[in-house]
Amino acid sequence: MNVTKKTGSAVTASSGTARLSFLKEQSIKTVFFFTAFFAVIVVSFILLFLLRDGYPIFSQVGILSFLLGPDWAPTAVVLLYGIFPLIVGTLLVTIGAMVFAVPLSIGCAIYLSELASPRTKKYLKPAVELLAGIPSVVYGFFGLIVLTNFIRVSFDIPTGETWLAASVLLGIMALPTIISVSEDAISSVPHEYKEGSLAIGATRWQTISRVLVPAALSGIAAAVILGIGRVVGETMAVLMVAGNAAIIPEPIWNNLSPLRTLTATFGIEMGEVSVGSEHYNALFGIAVILLVITLIINLSAVAILRHLKEGRAQGPARKPLISSATKESLGRFAEIIGIAVLLIFLLAAAPWWLAALVLLGAGAWYFGRDRLSENHIQTIAFGLIGLATVIVLAILVIILQDIVVHGLPALSWEFLTQPPKDLGRAGGIFPAIIGTLYLVLGAIAIALPLGVGAAIYLVEYTREGRITRLIRTGVDLLNGTPSIVFGLFGFAFIVLYLNVGVSLLAGQVTLALMVLPTVIRTTEESLKNIPQSLREGSLALGATRWQTISRVVLPPAVPGIVTGAILSIGRAAGETAPIMFTAVVFSSRFLPTSELQPVMALPYHLFILATNVPGASTNKYGTALVLLLLVIGFYSVAIFVRTHFQKKTRG
Amino acid sequence: MSETCIISTTNLNLWYHEKHALQSVSMRIPKKKVTALIGPSGCGKSTLLRCFNRLNDLIDHVKISGEITLDNESINAASTDVVTLRKKVGMVFQKPNPFPKSIYENVAYGPRVHGIRDKAELDTIVEQSLRHAAIWDEVKERLNDSALGLSGGQQQRLCIARTLAVEPEVILMDEPCSALDPIATAKIENLIERLKEDYTVIIVTHNMQQAARVSDYTGFMYLGKLIECGKTGQIFEHPKEELTENYITGRFG
Repeated sequence: MNVTKKTGSAVTASSGTARLSFLKEQSIKTVFFFTAFFAVIVVSFILLFLLRDGYPIFSQVGILSFLLGPDWAPTAVVLLYGIFPLIVGTLLVTIGAMVFAVPLSIGCAIYLSELASPRTKKYLKPAVELLAGIPSVVYGFFGLIVLTNFIRVSFDIPTGETWLAASVLLGIMALPTIISVSEDAISSVPHEYKEGSLAIGATRWQTISRVLVPAALSGIAAAVILGIGRVVGETMAVLMVAGNAAIIPEPIWNNLSPLRTLTATFGIEMGEVSVGSEHYNALFGIAVILLVITLIINLSAVAILRHLKEGRAQGPARKPLISSATKESLGRFAEIIGIAVLLIFLLAAAPWWLAALVLLGAGAWYFGRDRLSENHIQTIAFGLIGLATVIVLAILVIILQDIVVHGLPALSWEFLTQPPKDLGRAGGIFPAIIGTLYLVLGAIAIALPLGVGAAIYLVEYTREGRITRLIRTGVDLLNGTPSIVFGLFGFAFIVLYLNVGVSLLAGQVTLALMVLPTVIRTTEESLKNIPQSLREGSLALGATRWQTISRVVLPPAVPGIVTGAILSIGRAAGETAPIMFTAVVFSSRFLPTSELQPVMALPYHLFILATNVPGASTNKYGTALVLLLLVIGFYSVAIFVRTHFQKKTRG
Repeated sequence: MSETCIISTTNLNLWYHEKHALQSVSMRIPKKKVTALIGPSGCGKSTLLRCFNRLNDLIDHVKISGEITLDNESINAASTDVVTLRKKVGMVFQKPNPFPKSIYENVAYGPRVHGIRDKAELDTIVEQSLRHAAIWDEVKERLNDSALGLSGGQQQRLCIARTLAVEPEVILMDEPCSALDPIATAKIENLIERLKEDYTVIIVTHNMQQAARVSDYTGFMYLGKLIECGKTGQIFEHPKEELTENYITGRFG
C-alpha cells in the first residue's frame, strides 16, 4: 500500500502543478482541435447557405427542368430558368481548353523531368510557376485586348469573344497546374525502372514512352483532372472573353460561336439581381450545381494522388488501383474519344491549313513509321516535346511583354499616389493599391492563426483516424471550391445574413476562407519535414507536448509557414471573384476609415476598366502591370524565403 | 589468361566530381565464364560494372579516360551507339526492378523495343527466356498478372529473363542476391551456373562465399584500384597480394 503510494507520487510529482499543467495541455489541444475543425464547419456552412438560397428554385422549377431546360432567360417577359446551355457552355470550354493544354503540358512536363539539364530546369520551373502566379483578371484582360482581337482579325468575324478564345485562354491558365503535377508524377517514377529499360537497350524515347509515362499515368490523369477543375471553376477570365450569350453553339462544334459558362453567369447577373427574388434563387441554384461538379472533380484527383502516395510508402508489391486489363481498355477508350474529338475539331472548326498539316502528319506517321529507325522516331518525338516547351515559354513571354510594354508608360508617381479621376481614365490607383493591401493583410491575419492551428492539430496531436480524415476532406473540399462560390457565400452569409454589409471586413473574411487550405497544407508540409527525432529528444527530457511544439518543432518550421503565408497573400491579392460582391466599389476617392466600409481593389478596378470604361487604355495597362508586379513581388519574396532558409537549415 | 577475352579495359580512369573513383584499371574478362568482382563497399566495383554498358552516362559530372573494348570495339567512344551496346551487354540490378506491367509484358518489352511485333514470335521468346531463367513453371499460369505481385526472388529471376529475352552476349549482375533470402539466392546461383554455357557473366558481390561458389575468375578491388585478378581458386587460396589476402581472410572489410 505504502509502496504503491510512493511510486504513484513519484511519477505524478507534486500533484497540484501536475494537474495545472495537464489542464493547460488539454485546453491547448482543444483550441487546436477547434481551429482544425473550422474547415469542416466552413464547408458545411457554404453548402448550407448555397442550398438555403438555391433550394427554392429547385422546388419551384423542378431539378430536372432546371438542369435540362433549354433556355436561360431570367429577365425576359416569360421567365425561363433552364441552365442546360450554361452546362453545355462549361463543358465545351473545358473540352477546348484540354485539347489545347494537355498536349502542351505533357510535352513540357516530359521535357522538364527527363530532357532538361539541371541548369535549364532551374530557369524553366520558375517560368512555369510565374505562369501560375498571373492573376486570372490579368489573363482575362490580356485575352480581351489581345487574344480576341487576334481571333477576330484572323478569322474575319465581327467579334473575337468566342468559345475558341475562352478555350485557349483557360487552356493557358490550366498549363501550370497540369505541367507541375505531371512533372512530379514522371519524376517520382522509381529510378530503377529507367535503368532497367535503358540497360535492355531501349532508346531514351522508348524508355519515356513505354515505361516512364505509363508508370506515371495515374499521376498524369490526376494532373489533367486538376486542370479541368481549374477551368470549370474559373470566372473572371472566361467572363471577359467568352461572349457570354447563353446559347448552345450552332452547330455544336462551331467554336467561333460565343457561349456562356456557369461561372460567368454570376459575374454578369449577381450585380443586378434583387435579393430574395426567383432569379436570385436561380443563381444560387447554379452555384450548388457548380460546387457539386467541381467538388467531384477535385476529390477524384485528390483520391488518385493520395492512393499513389500511400502506394509508394508501402513499396511496389501492392495491387494497382485498377487492373492492367481495365487500364488497357480504358486507355483504348480514351484514345478513341480523343481521336474523335480531335477529328471533329479539325474537320469542323480548325482553319484548313492546320487541319491539312495535322492530317498530313498523321498520314506520314501511319505509313512511314516502319521505315523510320528508332533513332529517327526519337528525334521527331524530342523535337515535338521541345516545341511544346517553346510554345509554353512563348506564351508567357508574349503575355508579360504585352503588359510590361504597354503598362510602363502609365506608371508614374502620380499614378501610384493619386485617386482616380474621370471613371479611372485619368488620375491614379492609390486607393485601389491600399484597398488590396488592406484586404490581403486582413485575410492573412485571420487565416494564419486558424491555418497554423489546424496544421499543428493534424500533424502533432492526432493519429490518422476518422476525425483527421473528416478534417482532411473538409480541407480538400475547401481547396477545390471555386473562388466565385466563396464570393457568393460571403455575400449570402457575411454581407446579408450577419448583416455586415459590403465592407472591408466581409472581403477579408471571404479571402481568408479561400486561402485557409493553402495555409493549412503548407504548414503541414513544413511540420512534417521536422525530423521525428527532435520531438522524441524533447519529450524524453520531460518536456510537455506543447513545450516540445512551441520550442522545438515550430521554430525550424517558421520559414515554411511564412512561405505559405506569403504565397496565400499573393493569391488573395490577384483574386477578383471573392471580393466582387463582398467588399469592393469601383470608385472611391477616400481610403476606408473603418472595417465596415467598402474599398477599392486592384483586380476589380482592372476588371471594370477593361470591360466597362471605354478609352482608358493606358490606365488599364498601368493597373494590370501594378497588379502583376504586386503579385509577382509577393511570390518572389516567398520563393526567396524558401530557398534562403533551405540553404541555412541544411548548412 | 588463356581464354579468349570479350571485354577488356586498359588504364581506365573515372572521376565522379572530384573523386577519383576508378584508378587505371586494366582488366580482361574471358568469354563465356563467370567473373566476380569483390571488394569492400565503395571500392568502385559497381562503378566499373556500369562502365561496361555505359550506364554511368545517366549520372552527371562523370569523367572517364582510358580504353574499354567489347569484341575489340571501343565501348567508350563518342561514336558508339549506346543502344546497340546495351543490347549486347545486359544488366541485372541489385534490387529487382520489374516494370509495373504484367509478367509477359516485362519479358516482351526488350524484343518489342527492338522491333519484334509478331505475336507468335514474342510468345516463343517470352517462354524460352522464362524457362532459361528457371521461373517458367512458377509463372506460366499467370503471365498476365502484374509482375509486382511476385516474390523478391521471383522478381529477380524475371529480371534475368527480361535480360535474356534481348539475347545479350554479356550479362552484368550488380549484387543480384543482396536483397534476397538464402533459398532465392541459391536458385539464382544455380541459374548463373547454367547461364555461362551461353553467356559471359560479370557479377559484383559483397559475399565472398558467393564469389567462390559461382565464379571462374575473380577480381579484387580496393579504393578504386584493381588489386589482383585471376582464377578464382588461385585468388582465394594463393593470393599474390597482401591486401587481397587480408580481405579474404576477413582482416578488414
